[in-house]
Amino acid sequence: MICAGIDAGSRAIKIVLMDTDSRQVIAKGLIDQGVEQDKLASELFEALLKHSDINKKDVAKIVATGYGRNAVSIADTTITEITCQAVGVRQLVPKAMTVIDIGGQDSKLVQLDRTGKVRDFAMNDRCAAGTGRFLEVVAERLGIKLESLGDIAAKSKRPAVISSMCVVFAETEIIGLLTSGTPREDIIAGVQAAIAERVVTMAGRNLELPIIFTGGVAMISGMDLALKCALQKSVTVSPAPQMTGALGAAILASSQLNRRRP
Amino acid sequence: MGKCCDKKKRQIDAPDPCNPPGPQYVSESSAEKEPQNGPLAWFGKMIQNCYEYATEAKAQGKHIVGIMCEYTPRELIMAADAVPVCLCGGSAEMIPTAEEHLPANLCPLIKSTYGYHLQKANPFLEMAELIVAETTCDGKKKMYELMDQTRPMYVLELPQKPADSDAMAHWVSELRKFKTRLENQFGIEITDEKIRQAIRIMNRERALRRELAELMKSDKPPLTGRQLLKFKSSISGISADFEQYAEAIKLLKSQKPHCRRDSQVRVLMTGVPIVHGTERVLDIIESHGGLVVCMDNCTGLKPILEDVDESAQDPVFALAEKYFRLPCSVMTKNDRRLELLREMVAEYRPQCIIELIWQACITYDVESYLVRQLAEKELGIPYLRIETDYSPSDSVRIALRVEALFETIRERTHEQGTPAVLLRKTEAAGGTQRRCSGG
Ligand code: SF4
Ligand code: SF4
Repeated sequence: MICAGIDAGSRAIKIVLMDTDSRQVIAKGLIDQGVEQDKLASELFEALLKHSDINKKDVAKIVATGYGRNAVSIADTTITEITCQAVGVRQLVPKAMTVIDIGGQDSKLVQLDRTGKVRDFAMNDRCAAGTGRFLEVVAERLGIKLESLGDIAAKSKRPAVISSMCVVFAETEIIGLLTSGTPREDIIAGVQAAIAERVVTMAGRNLELPIIFTGGVAMISGMDLALKCALQKSVTVSPAPQMTGALGAAILASSQLNRRRP
Repeated sequence: MGKCCDKKKRQIDAPDPCNPPGPQYVSESSAEKEPQNGPLAWFGKMIQNCYEYATEAKAQGKHIVGIMCEYTPRELIMAADAVPVCLCGGSAEMIPTAEEHLPANLCPLIKSTYGYHLQKANPFLEMAELIVAETTCDGKKKMYELMDQTRPMYVLELPQKPADSDAMAHWVSELRKFKTRLENQFGIEITDEKIRQAIRIMNRERALRRELAELMKSDKPPLTGRQLLKFKSSISGISADFEQYAEAIKLLKSQKPHCRRDSQVRVLMTGVPIVHGTERVLDIIESHGGLVVCMDNCTGLKPILEDVDESAQDPVFALAEKYFRLPCSVMTKNDRRLELLREMVAEYRPQCIIELIWQACITYDVESYLVRQLAEKELGIPYLRIETDYSPSDSVRIALRVEALFETIRERTHEQGTPAVLLRKTEAAGGTQRRCSGG
């Protein structure tokens, strides 16, 4: 039997196909998010099936998660990304106690107990200041690619202080810094530090180790460093950070299926 | 799971990843059918009922007095042959107008109430000959000063250290001054007997509402939290309401246990009042698999738990005693709120506590730290704090947090069977887990 996990995030749709019995990942795929996300998800799903030579009929259960989870019509059920991230990360890093997930619009913190169950969680409220959106805004402003933010920030000697609580105001602040001649590496490093600070405010400082960093923003170099500095604790980037939600969804789909079977 | 509780098909929402559409936080499948007539339907047109009642009362020469807080002893107003009407604003539409005078970073309840005042859009406020308020939170207190410029306001000073020995005496004298004010303004003598008469009416109302709320102690309560919240009125003491309360109790008690309840997570809601029109978070909770079995706030149990001594020698003193015991976060210390929560958790057996905080409500927000401690450390149940205002822009996020909370609770329950705390309380209460009989 095959199960699928679909993570419809705010910036990308991720899908994992899994063998229910062996819990092996059969295929995984990713596509940029768009307006017709239901269609995008279905197309990616079909493409993955075709690619791995699987018949649709053999997919016994599909769980959707992520921001757009309710819009994925091929899914049998939905589970929140908080639960899915916990399960996905725990699969890849079995001893994980804390998960920090920063995505396009959300940042979340999940604390686990010894058995991997969610013990507590927090997430940003309305404001996008502690999320990937903030990085996109700077990248746009400075006219550089998201991927190269980290390399540039690494050159910073004196990260700029970004104090605004809100992305919109922070953007004005960045323009101000630019006109006053602040080097762009200092601005980027400053924004990364500001995001990390926001996460710490949400998380509190007494997080249990190991802390695993996941979500799309975990792939932007320099962010783990910023988190480390802000938390004063070591932070490890999860393997396949963009896929952990979909992976968790696939695992949960499998266990729901197995639970139901006698 | 019982056959009678088949899960309905999931609703599919319109896709738009970047802009959450008019958020679909209430899915059709979870809404319970609303009856066309009977008590629930009666309270469904509560505002209209109150409007008719107030208009009629005014025509008969009675006075309308606006109130804005549960510390106001309605009995004194009723004894002055006047009708107390709650004026708390629940409309988001009133807020932009209010922000012309008030800071944006203020509690939406205050702003909405004030917006109604500026727009003259609340018919009850326009009918009111007097508006009574207390020195509760800073936002309200200062807002009253602005209202006072154009409306007849009377503000009672509420002592804020309830445990102090001289606090009660001061509160009693505040009520006596208020009584005199009512007598002077309306040219009427408020006799002890009139107060006692009003006390009897209010006690009856509290008893009826209490009895309804207590139905939620059942393993399979006959109402949702949202439905229970409907059983109250902006105007107290309407005899037609009393008949409906009594009728509802009779009907609900004779009903078979509700089947869907097996899969719902029992929730205790605490925090700020949920005034008419601001039930969004409650709706989110109940449309994502929760059942609010108990609310301790000012629109829930807090103000109706205790009665006033009907035979007291000094009825004003008796009123002062009852109202002063209300555990609001404006008090310091507010230990009684935590005591009450302990009792409610024992009686209503919630699986989690969800606290609602209106944005910029400093007192409840700070106190939420103590409530979290109580829940997690002492009672051993999960706690979730939701801070929001009247605009629905964060509904999707709130729904996500609520859903995730329920997932963790279900996961635990699945692993361990009934959570220890629940088991203990159920046994203590002599309750047994009833099974759905099907059909
Ligand atoms: S919460 Fe406090 S201030 Fe608000 S109505 Fe209740 S007692 Fe009054
Ligand atoms: S909710 Fe808080 S800030 Fe708003 S009126 Fe009540 S006590 Fe004041």
